[in-house]
Amino acid sequence: MTIGIEHILAVSGLLFVIGFFGVLLRRNTLVVFMSLELMLNAAMLALVGFSFFNATMEGNVFVLFIIAVAAAEVAVGLAIIVALFRRRHTVQLEELVSLKG
Amino acid sequence: MTAADFQALLPFMCVAAAAVIVMLVISFYRNQTLSAILTLAGLLVALASLPIAWSHAPRAIPPLLRVDSFALVHLALLLVGTVAVTVFSQRYLEKYRMERGEFYILLLLSALGALILAAADHFVAFFLGLELLSVSLYVMVGYIFVKEKALEAAVKYLFLAGLTSALLLFGLALIYAALGSMEFSALAAAVAGAPDGLSPFLVAGMLLVFAGAAFKLSVVPFHLWTPDIYQGAPAPVTAFLATVSKGCVVAVLLRFFAPLDPASQTGLFSALAAVAGASMIVGNLLALLQDNLKRILAYSSIAHFGYILVAFLAGGENGPAAATFYLVTYFAATLIAFGVIGYLSPTDQEADTVADYRGLFWRRPGSAALLSIAIFSLLGLPLTAGFMGKFFLVAAGAAAGLWPLLIILTVSATLGIFYYLRIIIAMYSGEGRKSEGRTADAPFAPTSATVLVLLAVLLIVIGIAPEPLLAFIQAATTLAP
Amino acid sequence: MPDAPYWPFLVYATLVLTVAGGILVLSSLLGPRHQERVTGEPYESGVPPTATARLRLSVKFFLIAILFVIFDLELVFLFAWAIAIHELGWPGFWGMVVFVFILAAALVYEWRMGSLDWTERSAQARLRERREAFAKRQQENAAP
Repeated sequence: MTIGIEHILAVSGLLFVIGFFGVLLRRNTLVVFMSLELMLNAAMLALVGFSFFNATMEGNVFVLFIIAVAAAEVAVGLAIIVALFRRRHTVQLEELVSLKG
Repeated sequence: MTAADFQALLPFMCVAAAAVIVMLVISFYRNQTLSAILTLAGLLVALASLPIAWSHAPRAIPPLLRVDSFALVHLALLLVGTVAVTVFSQRYLEKYRMERGEFYILLLLSALGALILAAADHFVAFFLGLELLSVSLYVMVGYIFVKEKALEAAVKYLFLAGLTSALLLFGLALIYAALGSMEFSALAAAVAGAPDGLSPFLVAGMLLVFAGAAFKLSVVPFHLWTPDIYQGAPAPVTAFLATVSKGCVVAVLLRFFAPLDPASQTGLFSALAAVAGASMIVGNLLALLQDNLKRILAYSSIAHFGYILVAFLAGGENGPAAATFYLVTYFAATLIAFGVIGYLSPTDQEADTVADYRGLFWRRPGSAALLSIAIFSLLGLPLTAGFMGKFFLVAAGAAAGLWPLLIILTVSATLGIFYYLRIIIAMYSGEGRKSEGRTADAPFAPTSATVLVLLAVLLIVIGIAPEPLLAFIQAATTLAP
Repeated sequence: MPDAPYWPFLVYATLVLTVAGGILVLSSLLGPRHQERVTGEPYESGVPPTATARLRLSVKFFLIAILFVIFDLELVFLFAWAIAIHELGWPGFWGMVVFVFILAAALVYEWRMGSLDWTERSAQARLRERREAFAKRQQENAAP
C-alpha cells in the first residue's frame, strides 16, 4: 500500500487535534504543556511529510528550527511552572484563578 | 553575503549584539542603570543605522528577509516603542529588589523578534520572529514573580500563545503542502494565478495563520487573554505587549496577505470582515463595563485593532499606509498611557482602578495632562493624532467600498466617548479638597519625562499637520510584489 | 517509493499483544489470591513504610537538565553545519563562529550565575577549610 499525502495529513492532523483538545480540556498544568508540545510535534510531522511529497528540503530545514524553538519554549515554560508551583504548591489549573476574566 | 547585505542587516545585528553584551556585562557587574544604558545605547545605534539600511533598500536577504522601505518604516516604529519601554522599565524596576538585568536581555530579544517579523519574507522568518517575540514575553510577563498575579498571567499567556503558535505553524505547513515553497512571493504568485478556487489546503492554511496572528493582535474571538494578562503583567511589559508585539504582527500580516484581492476571495474576506466588525463592537462594549484602567485600555485595544483590520481589508494603495499611520498614533498614545500608569503605581500594587486616579490633576498636573492627551488621541478627538488616524482609515475604507464595516467603526468609536471620558472626568474631579486617589508621589525622572513629553508633542503635531508623515508613509509602504 | 510489505508489522503487533496479554492473564490466573489490607501496601522486606517515598529534589537537577537540552540543540546545528562544511566554505565557518560565540556567552553567564555549581558556595568554603586543616595536620605529623 502506497503512503499518500492524505495519510500524512490524517496522522498529523489526528495528533494535532488530540493535542489541541488536551490543551483546552486538561486540568494539570504539566499535562497541558505536554499537549502543547504534542501539537508542535504534529506540525513537525506534517512538515516532514509535505517536504517529501513536494520533493524539496525546505520542510526538513524548517523542522530543525522548530525543534530548537520548542526546546527553548519548554525551558522557559517549565521554569515559569516551577516558579508558580513554589508560590502556590499546586499544579492544578482550576486553583489558579485569582485573575478574573 | 556581500557588504551591502550586512549594511541592510545592521539594525538587527545591533539589537542582537546589545543583547549579548548586556548578558556578558551582567555576569560580572550588576547594576541596573548600566544595563538600561547599554540597552538604550544598542537600540539608539540600531535606530541610527536605519538610514544606512535605507540606502540599500529594497534588499532581499534571500530567502528569509526583505529589508525594503515598508520594513524600515516599521523597524523605526518598533525601535522607538522599545526605547520608550526601556526608559519606563528602568524606573519601574527600581522599586523591586531582584535580579533586574535579565529583563533588558529579554526586552532586546523580544524586540529582535519583532524586527525580524517586520522584515520577514519567508515562513521560517515568520515563525522564528514570532517565537522569539513570544518566548521572551512569557518571562517578561511573569518577571516580578513575587506578585502572584504576574505568574498566573505568565502561565495563561504561555498556554494561549503556545496554542496559537502551534495553530499558525500547522497553517504554514498546509500552505507549504499546497505551494511547495515557503516564500511569501510564492504565495503571492499562487493567489494571483488562480483568482477563483484556491486549493483547500491553501485556504485552510491561511485561515490558521490568520488565527495565530489574530491572537497576537487580540481581536475577537482570540481576545480573552487580553484583560487578564494586561492586568497581571507589569506596566512596562503591558506597554510592550500592547504596542510593539502587535505592531510587528500587523506588519507581517500586511505582507503576507498583500496579494489577496479582497473583492475576489469572498470566503476569506467575509471571515476577516466578521472578525474586524466583532472586535470593534465587543471591544468598545466590554470596555464600558470595566472599572480597572488597564482593563479599559485592554478592551479598547481590541477595538483599535478591529479598526486597523478594516484598513487591512481595504488593501489597495491606501490600506497599508492607513494601517501604518494608525499604528503610529496608537503606539504614541498607548505608550504614554501605560508609561504614566507604570509611573504612578506604588510598589505593593498597581494603581489600577479609575478611582485611584480621582483628582489626579490636583495632585500631579503633569501626569494628568499627559494622560489626557493620550486618552483624547485614543478617543479620536480632533486636533490629536488619533483623529487623523481614524480619518485616513475611513478614507481608505471608503475608497474600497467597505460600507458596513465603516458604519460599525463610527458607531463603536462613539461608544468610546463614554468610557474614555469617565477617566478624564475622574482625573479632573475633586477640586480643592484632598482627593482620595492613591498614586505614588515620586516625581518623573528626566528621561521618562522627556520621552513622555516628546510622545505627547508628537501626538499633537501629527494631529494638526499630518501631511508630511502621511506622505512619507504612503511613499514607503507601497508593497512591490 | 516501492511498496514495502505490510504484513510483518501486523505479525509483530499481534506477537507483542499476545506476549504482554498472555503474561498478565497467566499471572492473574495462576497467582496467589490474597486480598487483605496489607496486600496493597508497597513491599519493603516486611518492614512497614515509615514515610512517603516522594523526595523534594533540589532545583539544580532541573537546571542541569535544561542546560543539557539547550546545548544539545546547539550540537544539532553543529552537526548540520559539519555535513555541509565544504559547500559553505569560509563564510559558513564565520557564521558558525558567531553562533558558537553567542552560546559561549550564555555559558559564561551561567557559570558566573552559579548554575554549574553542584555544591553551594558555603559548602565549598567549608570543604576547602577541612582540606587545608587536614593537610596542615599531615605536615605536622610528618615533620618530627
